[in-house]
Amino acid sequence: MKRVKGTGLLMLMLAFIVVLSACGSSNGNSKENAASNSAGVKITLLNSKGEIQTQLEDAAKAFHEDNPDITLEIQAVPNGGSPFERASTLYASGNPPTMIMLDTGDVEKFKDRVLDLSGEKWNADTVANATDLTTFDGKNYAFPLAVEGYGFIYNKAVLDKAVGGTFDPATINTTDSLEKLFQQIEASGSKALVVSPMDWSLGAHYLPLAYAGQNKDMAEVNKFVDGLRAGTVQLGDNAVFNGLMDTFDVMMKYNIDQASPLAGVYERGPELLGKGEVGIWFMGNWAWPQINSFDTANGAYGFLPVPVSNNPTDYGNQEISSAVSKRIVIDKEKSTPEQQAAAKKFLEWIVYQDKGQDFLVNKASIIPAFKNITLPAADPLGKSLQDYIAIDRSEQSMSVLPADHWSILGASMQKYLSKAGDRALLVKEIEEYWKTAK
Amino acid sequence: MITEKGVWNRLRLRLLFTGPTLFAFITVMIIPFVYGIYLTFTSWDGISTTQTLVGFQNYGSVFKDAEFWKSFGLTLKYVLYTVVLTNVLAFLLAYILTTGLKGQSIFRAGFFLPNLVGGIVLGFIWQFIFNNVLVYLGQKAGIGIFSTSWLADPDHAFWTLVIVTVWQYAGYMMVIYVAGLTGVPNDVLEAASIDGASGWMKMVRMTVPLMIPSFIVCIFLSLQRGFMVYDVNLSLTKGGPFKSTEFVSMHVYQKAFLSRDYGVGQAEALVLFLLVAAITLLQVYFSKKLEVEA
Amino acid sequence: MAGSRRITSFFKLLLLSLALILFIVPFAFLLLNSFKENKEITANPLSLPGSFSMDNYANAFDKMNYVDAFTNSFIITVLSVLLISLFAAMTAHYFVRNPTKGNQYTFLLMVASMIIPFQALMIPLVKVYGSLDMLNSKWSLIYMYIGFGSSLAVFIYHGFVKGIPKELEEAALIDGCTRVQTFFRIVFPVLMPTTATIAILNVLWIWNDFLLPSLVLTDPEQRTLPLSTFNFYGTYTVDFGPLMASLVLTVLPIVVVYLFAQKYIIQGVMQGAVK
Repeated sequence: MKRVKGTGLLMLMLAFIVVLSACGSSNGNSKENAASNSAGVKITLLNSKGEIQTQLEDAAKAFHEDNPDITLEIQAVPNGGSPFERASTLYASGNPPTMIMLDTGDVEKFKDRVLDLSGEKWNADTVANATDLTTFDGKNYAFPLAVEGYGFIYNKAVLDKAVGGTFDPATINTTDSLEKLFQQIEASGSKALVVSPMDWSLGAHYLPLAYAGQNKDMAEVNKFVDGLRAGTVQLGDNAVFNGLMDTFDVMMKYNIDQASPLAGVYERGPELLGKGEVGIWFMGNWAWPQINSFDTANGAYGFLPVPVSNNPTDYGNQEISSAVSKRIVIDKEKSTPEQQAAAKKFLEWIVYQDKGQDFLVNKASIIPAFKNITLPAADPLGKSLQDYIAIDRSEQSMSVLPADHWSILGASMQKYLSKAGDRALLVKEIEEYWKTAK
Repeated sequence: MITEKGVWNRLRLRLLFTGPTLFAFITVMIIPFVYGIYLTFTSWDGISTTQTLVGFQNYGSVFKDAEFWKSFGLTLKYVLYTVVLTNVLAFLLAYILTTGLKGQSIFRAGFFLPNLVGGIVLGFIWQFIFNNVLVYLGQKAGIGIFSTSWLADPDHAFWTLVIVTVWQYAGYMMVIYVAGLTGVPNDVLEAASIDGASGWMKMVRMTVPLMIPSFIVCIFLSLQRGFMVYDVNLSLTKGGPFKSTEFVSMHVYQKAFLSRDYGVGQAEALVLFLLVAAITLLQVYFSKKLEVEA
Repeated sequence: MAGSRRITSFFKLLLLSLALILFIVPFAFLLLNSFKENKEITANPLSLPGSFSMDNYANAFDKMNYVDAFTNSFIITVLSVLLISLFAAMTAHYFVRNPTKGNQYTFLLMVASMIIPFQALMIPLVKVYGSLDMLNSKWSLIYMYIGFGSSLAVFIYHGFVKGIPKELEEAALIDGCTRVQTFFRIVFPVLMPTTATIAILNVLWIWNDFLLPSLVLTDPEQRTLPLSTFNFYGTYTVDFGPLMASLVLTVLPIVVVYLFAQKYIIQGVMQGAVK
């Protein structure tokens, strides 16, 4: 009798352990089954463009209305975390989302785990070169979501007042003309500009202008980067890099935050620019929704190039940096065929349905990478960018930098910005970084 | 009578009493630990389906990774300051709070409060204080040192981490010291008073030696927490500005998950383990020795 | 003599009160600003709220899925703490009563493992359990807490079990109890104060833990309170009001428990350290 009781307890304990250790897997499976068995299909999208989280959630609802049997859930990458970090953790945990929004350079690492999308209809409608960087062995693995560009965003009301008339962006094509403009703005009572000190802005956007500005031909740019890796490039003697940093020196000199250059946060930029407290902010077209919420210039904003010399015709002095920046891939390891089909349907919905296009262009202020979408850019920044692209004044942004480039060299740029290090140190740190970069 | 008969019975009993704990302990701690040692000999990027053996190359990278040693040095500095300041403050608070003041339990409860809250939340609270409250005060009242955010300045940012840590753990250590102090027999102290010993003498000669076990525990705890700090580091400074406050845990995390160098990241984690183990063991060894001598 | 003593005790009180204010004031700022609008906060973080509005709370409550996160945290903490205590008490009891070489070495191994920093385990842990498809479940997380938490618990119990007279158990065995019954009827009840100590230490740890759950739980529905706070902070950084409210909501449950069980919690910490 007693023995039975003891055995019972033991069995209970062992059963408990078995249940505990089995729970994880059974849990995962049951979920998948539930997804495929129930009437509808549930799919997920990991969003790495934090600023369009709400818009995407609304788009998911609109998509669900058009396709009642598909439910789309939007997950977010926490701020400060990279899409790769999140996505690889999700894969490690055996629970990847159906769709992942990745940065261009990350797609290759995932190519064994995601669907070949070459057969999709939208491939024929992309703008030129949109899928080159995500095509491996002739197969395209990713959906190009957005064209993004960055440079100096200006508040036209402030600049009009500064120049005493109508400001013409074409007049800014050298470092000197930029500095003159800064002086004019200060003379008119505003501050010239705000330099946002985030490592991603400095490390992933500003500094790469030094690589991309080397030549209009991408092959030459790649050769330059290879030279950096091999340690054969003398960055300290490079004209484009030095020109870019000379412009940065000018920016530092007129920065509204120069007393504490690293204290600013992203949110400060759109507020200062929108309210007209500064005339210029270095950022990209994704910042429009935030600028709009402070707008005092009746929506009159645009881009200026970041000059790299005092010769107006040098490459980069009249060009705005832009590229397809976010890509959506579809998981093939854990998703059911129904989920994959639903995910493909969503991508098509974005490109070919009115509601999808409306979300992309009007709601999320995205410049589409598709020729068939003819909606004009809904916001002044997108429009300004499209104008530059239309007259071939665009510089291909660096899309395939190593994953930790923004973090490590962003820190080096912050050091320079706060005058904790000089240019020689910056050059040294950039050269050191590339020698060991993956 | 107390030993049961039969191999099966004994085994059953053993499994019942130690099975669940040991099974979990081995599968959660020992196997990952051993597997982690294996990982240090591979190059794995966190996503690829294969991994190649690279021998001792990752350990070579650890010794060449200047940032790792810089963050380790910074962590050492942080541990030194927090251990000393936390324990001094905690001991003082505990000492005053055992002199029979009115309302001492309210004080104890209040000082302990920050320990109820996790590092992530504390980091966010203090971020607001350093970025907004103090800057506002500094600018309105013209206190120069507060007029710009401490989190934006590499030297000040380090101290914000020290301040928040001391603020959090002092209450915890205080509780342990209170327990130790109430354990010091009163008759010893009274005897000393009769002999004419002053308050200071009593403390140095009588109280402190009897408190050595409490010191060992508190220093051990604060050493360990100091070396392993991550949450506050992440939510208060994110390692910034320009990585000037990136402690070693965060560096290891970034190496593995951001730079996609799991092999090197894990090798750094192991090196960290060996260093920390050596330091804590030395601490316990020397203080035990002190205890025996005292 | 008496006068000077009163003066020193007055100064002590003054000093302590100042220190206490420094310890409490961050929470006061938090509470104060959680009722204000974003504009009011950035304009003056010290001002009193213009009107007491609960909008921030409603917003945060909704956006951070407070009910789900709280439920997850609650289930994970309670189950982990109960199971750690039960299993560790049994193991410690067995080790003390059967001091064979093997058991002693196992015990030493567990004690030694306490100095392994979590950072040295997290990468392989994620990889091993990821390949077993065991991540992203709170049950796996509870299981891991048992693995990580049992060393300290066994260590503390070990000391206290040694203090229980063997005769007590022998008497029970003679009366016809099995060892299992003896443990549950005699030993475990005697260990109750120790169990309370261990439970308190573990609650403080598990309720607030961030790194382990952030690696194990990836689904939004599975998030614990610290994870959901962190995520909320990451996604909506612009708006201070709801952020402050979300922090208050995260801190609140444990502070409420503390108000009622303050004496026991402090005692628990004391005993855990003295062992």
